[in-house]
Amino acid sequence: MSPIVPMLYTVRVMAAEAKATTSPHTGQRSVGEIARTVLGPLLQLLLFIVGAAASLGLLVIVLALLLSASTPDLLSRVVTILPQVIIDGLVRGFLFATIALGYTMVYGVLEFINFAHGELFMVGGVVGAYVGFFLDRAGIIDGFNPFLFVVVVVAAGMTVSGLLAVTVERIAYRPLRNAPRLVPLISAIGVSLVLQDLARLFMTNFPTSEPLGFNARYNSPDYGPPLTLFEMNVGERSVPVVLSPKALIFITVATLMLIGLNYLVNATRLGKAIRATAQDMPTASLMGINVNQIISLTFLIGGALGGAAGALFGLNVGAVNPYMGLIPGLKAFTAAVLGGIGNITGAMVGGIVLGFMEAFVASYLGLFTGGAISGAAYADIVAFSMLILILIFRPSGLLGEATTTKV
Amino acid sequence: MATTTPPSSAWERLTEPLRSGPTAYGFLGLYAAVCTWLLLTNPRTSLGTDIVFVLFLLLVLFTFRSRVARPFKIGLAAALLGIVLPIFGTLNPFYIDVATQAGIFVTLALGLNVVVGFAGLLDLGYVAFFAVGAYLWGILSTPQLTEINPAWSPVPPIMFYPFVLLGLVAGGVFGVLLGLPVLRLRGDYLAIVTLGFGEVIRVLANNLDKPVNITNGSQGIREIARPPLIFAEPLRGLGLRFDDQQLYQQFFYFAVLLVVLLTMIVVSRLKSSRIGRAWEAIREDETAAIAQGIPLVRMKLLAFAVGASFAGAMGVIFASKQLFINPPTFDLLRSINILAMVILGGMGSIPGVVLGAVFVTLLNLQILPRTATVLREAQDAGFPIPETFDPTQYQRLLFGLLLILMMIFRPEGILPDERRSEELHEAQQAQQEEPPPEEAAATPAG
Amino acid sequence: MTLLDAKNITKSFGGLTAVNDVTLTVEKGRIVSVIGPNGAGKTTFFNILTGIYKPDKGTVVFDGRPIAGSRPDQIAALGMRRTFQNIRLFGNMTVLENVLVGMHTHLHAPFWSIVTRAGSVRHEEARARERARERLAYVGLDDKRDALAKNLPYGDQRRLEIARALAGEPKLILLDEPTAGMNPNETAEATDLIRRLRDELGLTVVLIEHDMRLVMAISERISVLDYGTKIAEGDAATIRSNPRVVEAYLGKGATA
Repeated sequence: MSPIVPMLYTVRVMAAEAKATTSPHTGQRSVGEIARTVLGPLLQLLLFIVGAAASLGLLVIVLALLLSASTPDLLSRVVTILPQVIIDGLVRGFLFATIALGYTMVYGVLEFINFAHGELFMVGGVVGAYVGFFLDRAGIIDGFNPFLFVVVVVAAGMTVSGLLAVTVERIAYRPLRNAPRLVPLISAIGVSLVLQDLARLFMTNFPTSEPLGFNARYNSPDYGPPLTLFEMNVGERSVPVVLSPKALIFITVATLMLIGLNYLVNATRLGKAIRATAQDMPTASLMGINVNQIISLTFLIGGALGGAAGALFGLNVGAVNPYMGLIPGLKAFTAAVLGGIGNITGAMVGGIVLGFMEAFVASYLGLFTGGAISGAAYADIVAFSMLILILIFRPSGLLGEATTTKV
Repeated sequence: MATTTPPSSAWERLTEPLRSGPTAYGFLGLYAAVCTWLLLTNPRTSLGTDIVFVLFLLLVLFTFRSRVARPFKIGLAAALLGIVLPIFGTLNPFYIDVATQAGIFVTLALGLNVVVGFAGLLDLGYVAFFAVGAYLWGILSTPQLTEINPAWSPVPPIMFYPFVLLGLVAGGVFGVLLGLPVLRLRGDYLAIVTLGFGEVIRVLANNLDKPVNITNGSQGIREIARPPLIFAEPLRGLGLRFDDQQLYQQFFYFAVLLVVLLTMIVVSRLKSSRIGRAWEAIREDETAAIAQGIPLVRMKLLAFAVGASFAGAMGVIFASKQLFINPPTFDLLRSINILAMVILGGMGSIPGVVLGAVFVTLLNLQILPRTATVLREAQDAGFPIPETFDPTQYQRLLFGLLLILMMIFRPEGILPDERRSEELHEAQQAQQEEPPPEEAAATPAG
Repeated sequence: MTLLDAKNITKSFGGLTAVNDVTLTVEKGRIVSVIGPNGAGKTTFFNILTGIYKPDKGTVVFDGRPIAGSRPDQIAALGMRRTFQNIRLFGNMTVLENVLVGMHTHLHAPFWSIVTRAGSVRHEEARARERARERLAYVGLDDKRDALAKNLPYGDQRRLEIARALAGEPKLILLDEPTAGMNPNETAEATDLIRRLRDELGLTVVLIEHDMRLVMAISERISVLDYGTKIAEGDAATIRSNPRVVEAYLGKGATA
């Protein structure tokens, strides 16, 4: 069965634990234990961040050295932008990671690819844009507390996308739960298309007097100038390495959400019920778990995370449109597969690795080919090629358990 | 094998005389005569003509579904599609263009049906193979080729004919190239990977203008060659005066009709052969199929290659007909469109898929624009319809809803494959009772 | 003559050793049974013989050729066919078509001949249908050839699986619990059919079965598996009197 690994409880152990936790005194886990289950994955994540940044950084430096015979200043140019590329990779990585969590949770429980997940991300972004839009219309956006604004847009995006995900599951997936595998997938593709156009219909018509528009600006309070982290001395020049406050917010909020999700899934009764459902739905239901409720909850959490990611993404980029969910959605799916689908830590790790790969390709491909090839365009190709390669050579993903192929 | 089932529903009993016996001949003959008369006497583009045109196409379907003598069937269909429609086309070019487009999509849908319907492999990047054929002819028949290498000059237009075959081969080769790495994947992964592949092809088409200009990037390729009109002179000799525009319309109509017929023949022969049975067996139960000595990967590759080759060949014809191609022509929405045709008509069912393709094409080219006109008129008359709302712009919404509703209420399609209809519904109950076969066999029990 | 020679087969899943160092030799023209309690590794052993699993250790020689590591379709093409414990028919194909699929390795019409519907293809197809109907008649299903496989009654589905396996003209047929879920009447018919496979068609049969009466009545040799290990081998009388078998098998209350 699909594991929300790494906790491979057998059903028996699960049952015993479930019984144990019904009594308030025996079920308590020590604070240290909880910290371990929650922070352990984060350490792993940190390890992958440092590892990916270091190894890719090293790779481009070695490449630059090899090519520096023909272009003398290549090395300095490569080094100059490196910190910025790493930061860019981090932002992209966290973006993919947050979206990938939704895919992976739903897959973990239902073994179903929620194709419409990218649209939940998009909806989160659109909701955030509307919040900014109305604050702007009310004329209070400039004086608005920037941190309160983040809280408001994230909360709004999470609520709308989460509830939308639950509704979609109820209408378009639940009736098909026992149908052949491709049937719900096709339905999900349909949902994805419907949501794209519904969002468009809404954005181009609401409010009637002055609609938000197709390519909508994402208003937000002023977050001040970019923070200069440090100055890099390259030759005679001094290059500042900057981090925009919005990117910092993105990374911080995403990290907090990951901690929260880890806590929820690994350290609460609810999380245990989710894991049990993922392991074995019929048995979980025999243990008194309301499987339908848990599935709705999974969609709620996954959708909310996607919505939050969308709201933050819009904030960071400054614009949203109704079709913006598809490609990040596909990439996030790639990230989930890369990390080992069904595995929460894996989804984060996969997101980070993919984000770094893309950032490096986008920034360095043009540089190494003398501007002949646009790196940004080929970043997509890298992502999909990676998906294909991973599925062929290590379908269980980076962190997934190698399982025997079932017949 | 296909035993004639006695009519069951009240509707079927009521309409039975229209489908068999002497009344059927009368009905079809009268229907054909009325449609022909209406079309030829009143060819102006209008809502009325739209409706008659749809009824006309439905007549072709009725003819094939009715139980009349084979020569009558073929004769009537040939007269309708080979004589009436082309003549009507000379009176109103719009409708023959719609028919040609419908034919193009019928071929694509039949090709995708081999992959999705017969072999049960969900391919979401099918349009990539169409793009391969289109770009093949687009690049090689235009000065774009000179862009790649100044020493090369475009192939002469007469090479169009061999290039249709070359498109067939190129599509097949790409099918195998994509299939080889991905066909071992499980169904849902396969769907996503093929989608990724489709996107990769589109992104490549969009970006291969640097460092060497191969595809002319997002600008697309213009002035794609059309084959010389070798039959223009003899037609003039017969006293038929058409301008080139009309002649090309007729030419592409008949070319597409021919390809559609060939595709239908090939597909239905494959379906009833050892190959078709092997595909179907794979779709039903891979483990049981392999235990019968069916080489899974090879048969899946074959399905991929066959499906892709139809798209490749049609790509060449499409590029030549359109004169212009660019990357957005081959986007994901187009793949979804073709998938919707297959699903709407009925996966695995040849008549169903043809119907689905024709219907979706009509929807895109006629019904939606017509609805838009009607809405605009209603708007002018004062109905509160938002100005920005244009139904032709909401294809995603429409096809999305269509996919969801079909999956929930009629996964077997409108005209299901006779033997498949029950499967999709019954599987839901069967699976609740016993564990899916995969796991049952995998448990090391015994 | 030895038709099948499986030596020292071992297969583990994760920590569980499903089949442990099992050796089975089958002489041509014999009916051999593999018995053992549930979970003893019998079906896994079949899956290894037919190529669905690759053994971790051990060799399989079938009809003089080493086959361990070959793909299931290659093994099937060599003349080893099987039925499944949990009946795996192509439910939405007709009974006749199921048998035709079973003949896949004996149909050779090339792609181009099929597309052009060459005379040779029509001939081959007609012959195949004829042969398929003979197979169906042999198991007593010819009158149901146009029904969908999934609509057959249970006993008929088991017989259709055998007909489909026969369609491949096998040398060896592996039957995985062919009488599971059958009433005594049906079981008697199935027993008779299995015996006819050997006596009339000259097939070699390897059988996994829980019905002891059937096993004892028709098997010339019986191998007993328990926890993945072969604990006994011999003819019916030997097995019946083997204390380890009685303990492993009957002692655990398995149906005998």
